[in-house]
Amino acid sequence: MTDTALPYDRAGGRSESLFRVRQILDSVESRPAASGVTEPIKLNPKPSRAYFYWLMAPAIILLACISLYPFFWMIYMSLHDVELGSAVWNNFENFTKLATDTRYLNGWMLLFQYSAMCLLLQIGIGVFLAVALNGSRYEKFLVTAFLMPMMMAPIVAGLVWYFLYNGTFGWYHWLFQSLGILGAKSILASPTTAMYGIVIVDVWQWTPLITLITLAGLKRVPQDQLEANMVDGASPLRNFFSVTLPNLYPVLLIAVMLRFMDNFRFIDSILVLTGGGPGNATKILPVYLFEVSFKFFKLGRGAAIALTLLVVTIILGMILVKVFDRQNRGKA
Amino acid sequence: MASRDIVHYDTPLSKAFRWFSAVFIGFYLIWTLLPIFVMFVSSFKDLLEAFKIPAVGDWMGAAVFFDFSPTLTHYENLFRNLNFTSYIVNSLVAAGGSALISVVLGSMCAYSLSRIEFRGKSDLFFWIISTRMAPVVAVMVPLYAIFRSLDLVGTLPGLILAYTTFNLPFAIWILKGFFDNVPYAIEEAQMVDGATRSQAFMSILPLVAPGIGAFLVLCILFAWNDFLFAAIIGSGGAKTLPVATRELVQPQNIQWGSIMAAGVVTTLPMMLLGLVIRRYLVTGLTMGAVKE
Repeated sequence: MTDTALPYDRAGGRSESLFRVRQILDSVESRPAASGVTEPIKLNPKPSRAYFYWLMAPAIILLACISLYPFFWMIYMSLHDVELGSAVWNNFENFTKLATDTRYLNGWMLLFQYSAMCLLLQIGIGVFLAVALNGSRYEKFLVTAFLMPMMMAPIVAGLVWYFLYNGTFGWYHWLFQSLGILGAKSILASPTTAMYGIVIVDVWQWTPLITLITLAGLKRVPQDQLEANMVDGASPLRNFFSVTLPNLYPVLLIAVMLRFMDNFRFIDSILVLTGGGPGNATKILPVYLFEVSFKFFKLGRGAAIALTLLVVTIILGMILVKVFDRQNRGKA
Repeated sequence: MASRDIVHYDTPLSKAFRWFSAVFIGFYLIWTLLPIFVMFVSSFKDLLEAFKIPAVGDWMGAAVFFDFSPTLTHYENLFRNLNFTSYIVNSLVAAGGSALISVVLGSMCAYSLSRIEFRGKSDLFFWIISTRMAPVVAVMVPLYAIFRSLDLVGTLPGLILAYTTFNLPFAIWILKGFFDNVPYAIEEAQMVDGATRSQAFMSILPLVAPGIGAFLVLCILFAWNDFLFAAIIGSGGAKTLPVATRELVQPQNIQWGSIMAAGVVTTLPMMLLGLVIRRYLVTGLTMGAVKE
């Protein structure tokens, strides 16, 4: 290991180390030329594959144990009535019941409604913010400040907002009331406004991510194109829509997909803020799934719901990976 | 420089845009930091002070927010009476343990995936990443059933394993990108000089070390901030900070001061860590799709 840096050690390679390099190179050059054999020495032996498989094995095996095995368990559970310690085959009843379960269907609808509202606001505000920030003197400082909500545990964010929304001593409630937006009832207490309440929290926490992603994308917009257009008399607005925005689409698509899937994944703040209520107004599907599985302990039914949720997520994931690939190929 | 001059000429419209965006950024800054600020300040108020609020429409009365005498009682309460020290230890062990396992196994796996081609590699890769994308609640239903039968519910090893379900795929996915950027020629050169395969692997580790370190931190952050796994899998014996914070909310008396103090204790370390790995944050949060 002492002479590992040899072939690259151009600067310091004066003494005997240089000598050794030369020796190797000489032997490589001279032998094949003299004998004419196509594969004379194994200077660069094809790395043995076994080594790589061994290196890969622990991670793959562990992952199989904690993700593939549970997945088959999920399928098994979804086909049975699962009680404590027993499972009875029930002829796909868990699935057929879902078709008439209004809270399940409602959960899907609310999930998409929730995601759509979050995404529209996040993209709108996030992209505008990025464009406004780009190249500003205070960009670094401001971006750092905007990062803060993302570092917060979603559950803590939920609790803080629960405090702010509180109908008797919440500061945001006071603000909403003073502005005449809301009555005496807290935003979370009424079924018509509760959804906006949880959307606001998600927007607060994750808009900065969209801003960061957009900023990264903006740095890659070809400046010469913008300037050329400018010289030809295009307005900044025109420039934005015909050059900047099309260049942003790929990154924005990734941002949208990631946020969309995170809305499927995380329900921490919703659990604290409303717990799905009032009534079922904010019971998006993951929240309903949580309730069925861990409040009523109907694990079989829960597994059936989880399976449907998982299938949709995996389809979304496939699309995302396709986008990733295209993005990476574009760069190379 | 000439072209710069063209870009920066002012029309009334661009002037208006600049003003508008400055105002917008100002408002946004306040809106982003206000909840965090309220959390910090409220953790130093005593119970009655935290409940003080002006009458509706009384804009001047908002000054009442700063009318308090700072106290550390809530922090004392957390650490003296509520056993928060042990929750911090739990959080550290669970998050650190899973991050360490994920990064060590993940870098081995990512390195191999980056260096060889084999049939079904893209399928394997997709399976790995889809594990990470799966909704936490959906994963938890079978995991809970399995862990219960293995008596892993309510233990730290159980929690570490649970966190590894999302940290390991993340580590593999991200680190593969890192190893892809290291030219194979470096290892070749090592092996020409007589290094074994493992020595060659070890010799390129320093090149990716900063990245690996940053993603170790990010894995800790993901696990530290998790609530659902901790609440279900860790319930009982392995209570972490987010769960302990949540449990302060009781129907009868909500101890806001202590909740805010617990929020600060949970959040502050992660905010500081986030600043440390600032450079890798976007890459990490977008799973490597966007690089700054």
